[in-house]
Amino acid sequence: MNLASYRKKSPWILHFNAGGCNGCDIEILACLGPKYDIERFGMINTGNPKQSDILLITGPVTKRTRERLVEIYAQMPEPKVVISCGACASTGGVFRGMYNCEGGVDQFIPVDVYVCGCGTRPEQIIDGVVQALGILEKKTKALEQSVKLKKEALQEEGQLNRRNIADEIKPLLT
Amino acid sequence: MNFYLTGLYFLPLIVGGILLIAPAKISRPLVILSSLVLSVLAFLVFLSVNEPVYFSVPHYVSQLVAGADILMLVFFLWVALQRKSLLVGIMSVVQLAGLLYLLKNMSGGESLQFMVDKLSTFMFLLINIISGIIAVFTLRYIDEEDCSAFRKKFFLALLFWFIGAMNLVVSADNLEYFFLFFELTTLASFLFIGFRKDAVSIQNAVTALWMNQLGGIAILAAIFFIVYNGYGEITFTNLLAHAKAEGILLPLALLSIAALIKGAQLPFSKWLLGAMVAPTPVSALLHSSTMVKIAPFIILRLSPALKDTPVAMVIIGLTGFVFIASAVSALSQDNFKRILAHSTIALLALMIMMGAIGTPVTIVAALVLVLFHGISKCMLFLNAGVLERVFHLKQSSDMDRLGESGPFTSLVMTIGFMSLLLPPFGAFIGKWLSIETLGALATEKKLLGALVIVAVAGGGAVLSLLYFKVIGLLINRTGAQDQIRFEKTGPYYAATIYILLGLVLASVAGLPLLLTYYFAPVASAVNGSAVIVMQEGWNLFVGSMRIPLLPMLIAFFLLPVTILVAMFIRFRHTDRVKEYMCGEKINYSFSSFYFSTDRAIPYFSAAGILFFIALIIVALI
Amino acid sequence: MNVMNAYLIPVLLIVLAPFIGGLVYGFDRIVKARMQRRTGPPLLQPFYDFLKLADKRQMMVHSTHAFLGLMHFVSLWFALAVLLLGGDLILVIFLHLLSTSLLILAGYSTRSVFSHLGANRMALSVLAYEPVLIIMAVSVFMINGSFDTSVVYASGEPLLYKMPLAFVALLLVLPIKLKKSPFDVAEAHQEITGGVEIEYSGLFFEAVYTAKWLDYIFCYTLVFLFAGNNILLGAGLIIFTFFYLAALDNSTARVNYKQMLRFSLGVAFTLAFINLLINSLI
Repeated sequence: MNLASYRKKSPWILHFNAGGCNGCDIEILACLGPKYDIERFGMINTGNPKQSDILLITGPVTKRTRERLVEIYAQMPEPKVVISCGACASTGGVFRGMYNCEGGVDQFIPVDVYVCGCGTRPEQIIDGVVQALGILEKKTKALEQSVKLKKEALQEEGQLNRRNIADEIKPLLT
Repeated sequence: MNFYLTGLYFLPLIVGGILLIAPAKISRPLVILSSLVLSVLAFLVFLSVNEPVYFSVPHYVSQLVAGADILMLVFFLWVALQRKSLLVGIMSVVQLAGLLYLLKNMSGGESLQFMVDKLSTFMFLLINIISGIIAVFTLRYIDEEDCSAFRKKFFLALLFWFIGAMNLVVSADNLEYFFLFFELTTLASFLFIGFRKDAVSIQNAVTALWMNQLGGIAILAAIFFIVYNGYGEITFTNLLAHAKAEGILLPLALLSIAALIKGAQLPFSKWLLGAMVAPTPVSALLHSSTMVKIAPFIILRLSPALKDTPVAMVIIGLTGFVFIASAVSALSQDNFKRILAHSTIALLALMIMMGAIGTPVTIVAALVLVLFHGISKCMLFLNAGVLERVFHLKQSSDMDRLGESGPFTSLVMTIGFMSLLLPPFGAFIGKWLSIETLGALATEKKLLGALVIVAVAGGGAVLSLLYFKVIGLLINRTGAQDQIRFEKTGPYYAATIYILLGLVLASVAGLPLLLTYYFAPVASAVNGSAVIVMQEGWNLFVGSMRIPLLPMLIAFFLLPVTILVAMFIRFRHTDRVKEYMCGEKINYSFSSFYFSTDRAIPYFSAAGILFFIALIIVALI
Repeated sequence: MNVMNAYLIPVLLIVLAPFIGGLVYGFDRIVKARMQRRTGPPLLQPFYDFLKLADKRQMMVHSTHAFLGLMHFVSLWFALAVLLLGGDLILVIFLHLLSTSLLILAGYSTRSVFSHLGANRMALSVLAYEPVLIIMAVSVFMINGSFDTSVVYASGEPLLYKMPLAFVALLLVLPIKLKKSPFDVAEAHQEITGGVEIEYSGLFFEAVYTAKWLDYIFCYTLVFLFAGNNILLGAGLIIFTFFYLAALDNSTARVNYKQMLRFSLGVAFTLAFINLLINSLI
């Protein structure tokens, strides 16, 4: 019995708002409602990383939420996929370059599917999730080894990129 | 055999006297040795007594007893004056007056004043073994107490004198002697509770004094009515012989009142709860294992006469109510010793109820509960002492990290609580037998039986909740540390707790044997009819009650063993993850939930008083 | 041969209990969705969940917590077994209480806020429904003269006609037992994210998840007790209870624990008590 095929039949979602405006969150909740009804695919919105497969993130990652985001990602058991919903989660969106935003989820955790839109429409979210399920089926349940993020650290005018902050501070201390 | 009995009575007195003056080098081995000797003596007495043994004492001893009675009451009067307590004063005056009146008007018969039967030897075993263990525990406990060296010796001496008094209480047949020894235990309780001499202790000691004196007055009143109604000698045996006589209910009711007060049933439970300020060996000895067991002892003595009377019905109603009321009150307590005190009151109510019903199986249930509750509560209280001295913990809400810093203490406490609650431990079997036999009662007296079953089963559920609440505090771990290192508490503490643990576990293994060779004979002696214990296939039959062994055995593996294994099991190859706190990294401290029963307490007390009044009324009708 | 026949159906039920429970749970989800004018998941969805959870990386907070979760499932199965085999009703209630207590202890054993809150609330829920069950058992005793459920299964006169008020009281406390609205404070998904279940994942979560299915079978067996040996009546009662619970779950909001205790001990307990008085006086 190919257990991997059952991942598609019962994908449980964890929804995390990384400091966004709630526009995409409302659309995700709409997916769970009667009109779009993703429960017919077996999807449940669990509030709990330990029991979910799909991490749906909205909002540009702020300084405060980045640590919690990584913590929650670490508490999810493999196999797992990450979907960044909306422009803010993908690239920082409207808030790109601001002092409190880190410029997207992929600065911190590996993302599998980017869903575009500001706010994304439920149809786009469902499409993204279905594509993620295809990726999920191919993943293993081994512990994820240390991953080099594909995306380069954000280098922009005035943007303090805290991913490399350790490299910047070390020479100041010695 | 008389030699063994004399040993049981006089050895504690002599040892107590020596301990008052001996230095530590002598007193330590002396205490350990006398505990052993007393236990062996109790065991030998148990083996050798099959028929009741009566013996009397010379006439001058009677006069000594009367003199000691009066002296003690004068001492109580002095306490009343010193502590300015009106209640103690009134009680003492009434007792003195009553006693003097009775001494003048009683026919001084040459009756046999002492009777030792199977029930007495049963109590001997419980008293001497448990008290011996507690005495050894006290050797270290009292050393660390903040008082003068003489006071420490006085404590040990008082402990042994108390053991002597208890041995005398359970062998007294003559009610006047019984009154003296009863009041001696009250005196001991007073001295013990007030040992620490701070304001709270003194106040609680005075409360204990007057409440127990009320019990003494009840005994005196019972003696009065026996004389007044002309039953003849004032002995238990004579009382039982007149079981069908006119007006016998009133002395029985009065003696039951004395038992109920000694057993801290509502509304007289305040003294037991207040007694928890005393040093922990006192709580273990007096207020859980030995002194309060006088209550079911009296009821068991009287059970052939009490059975099926209106007095017994009222007692059953009262104790059923107390069982559930104290279980609920226990949920409101944070102080660990108070939790134990409330659950003691609840189980005492159950024991008294079983004694009052009086059928062979219920008497077995009462005896089973008396013994196993004594052992388990003693273990829990001694553990409370260890918590107090080694971990400096008094409130259960502080026991947050105990599971990691003190795994052995947590283990013992968990076993202690589970032994009161879960199969196949004795206390569960006792409760099981109670519920099944209450059913038998309910077929005759439907309404009363139904109400009492509800109270007992409901109270049992509430008590389970209570115990799991406390075990939950003990089972809490961070999981950061996988290795278990049992803590060292010191030789005296560790040794006594190991012995008690061994007793608890041995009783599980030997329960069918104990039922056949220990409880059933005692119950037969009490009840007068034989109690048959036999095993048939996968069922154990006690009288007509069936204990299904197979579900019990499986339940044993599923429940107590599961909890113990859960505390120590380690899955080696599974990944570990942190708790979900929405991703936060804050450290939390955890407590438990409590109910406030303040608003209910007046109603409980009022209900208790109504029951007591009902007890007198049905006796008078 | 007769002995074998007598035991065949209960043993079969016991062995297949998780599967039957899963089907019931799946059907419950579909009914819930249809009541909300949605399509709902397929019938076999709980089994898909089960198989998916089996394929996740094993994680635990610590062994005590994980082990207690597993044993909760095992002991609930055992309680169900005793009930189906005709055991003593008080023993069954006690075993169910103890299996719930294992889960409560599991909730207390981690240093997680939601876990503790869930365990506290679960303990209070137990306090709410346990007395009603006990009075129900005592009423059965008053009628039959023993606590044995085998007598109940064999009796020709359904208990429903003799203790109707107790049945109503049972219906009122079933939502508490099954953690359905309005009495699902113990689980409270939006408040405390599942309470005690929160720290479980993978195989250990499967144990707790499957225990929920067994709870359905347990509760429906309690309902079936009221039908005696009349299987049609029993099936009817179970179907009625099923739709009643689904409708109640979908139409009510959650109440807090104080309101739950007040309702359960004030209304359900009183009804059961009146029933007991009637049974003991007649």
